[in-house]
Amino acid sequence: MSHPEKLQQRIDAYLMQLRRSLGELPPDEVNEILQEIRGHILERAEASGELTDERLVAILKSLGSPEEIAPLYQADALMARARSSLSPRVVMRGVHRWSTVSAWGLALFVLGIVGYATGFALVVAGVGKIFAPNQIGAWVGPHTFDIGVNSDPTARDVLGWWLVPFGLFGGSALVVATTRALRWTLRFARIRRPTAA
Amino acid sequence: MVITRSEPAENWETQIRKGWLELAILASLWGDKLYGLDIIRRLQTDSDLLLAEGTIYPILGRLKRDGLIDSKWVESEAGHPRKYYWLTNTGRRRAIAMARYASTFLTRIDSLIEPLLAKEKE
Repeated sequence: MSHPEKLQQRIDAYLMQLRRSLGELPPDEVNEILQEIRGHILERAEASGELTDERLVAILKSLGSPEEIAPLYQADALMARARSSLSPRVVMRGVHRWSTVSAWGLALFVLGIVGYATGFALVVAGVGKIFAPNQIGAWVGPHTFDIGVNSDPTARDVLGWWLVPFGLFGGSALVVATTRALRWTLRFARIRRPTAA
Repeated sequence: MVITRSEPAENWETQIRKGWLELAILASLWGDKLYGLDIIRRLQTDSDLLLAEGTIYPILGRLKRDGLIDSKWVESEAGHPRKYYWLTNTGRRRAIAMARYASTFLTRIDSLIEPLLAKEKE
């Protein structure tokens, strides 16, 4: 059964919106969801006899809007937010949840802490250099490699003022990269939602 | 009835529907393997629990994750594959337990709410 182009476009638009609303669920899961919903729409359409625009609108209306359905797929709201958030705090809460049930989660949690701690430390050092240029630097000595405050008199500051842009941009980039890496990896997290009777 | 801790507060009607819907879905699968639209049609004939039809699919996904039902894609004469669902043994046991609970619950609350309904008739 071939639908006129306009009707097909309406169906496609609905499915596209659903795909967007499903956010960062695993791709194979998203495809399966779309296939099932698509089947529903097509079958309702076929059952309605000659498909008109009004009938299709009615079918989609009784199906519910993508914005209404999509959140229900994200069984665990905390994980769903973590998978799509830009906030290190929200993302780390998701990672923490995963770390309580999986060794992979625990490894990711440690990685997250290292990534964020290093990133934020670089930013702090970059800002600190502006206010205390003589105390804060990237110190390299025979026994030292240290970004921050120095205690080794033989060490010298190798970056000088370059620490400011390096700290600010490098640190921020590391924080963003850590967030992206954690979010990407969280797609593979499988957690049964917490239940209470 | 299963409730997530992270769920935002919803109105009472949605909450009641939600709890019953899960039982209704498991019950609809008691005798047959059905695909989503089958289940929807059955629920619409025998109950008025379902508001937006699409909400059934995420619930089916969750019931599957919880091991109560299983599913398989089957090619159909309709031209697109259908995803069929059926009860697992765990699902059967859960459905029986829920049905018993629901039945006892209904009997008991019936006497409790009867005065309210009588008041309405006055």
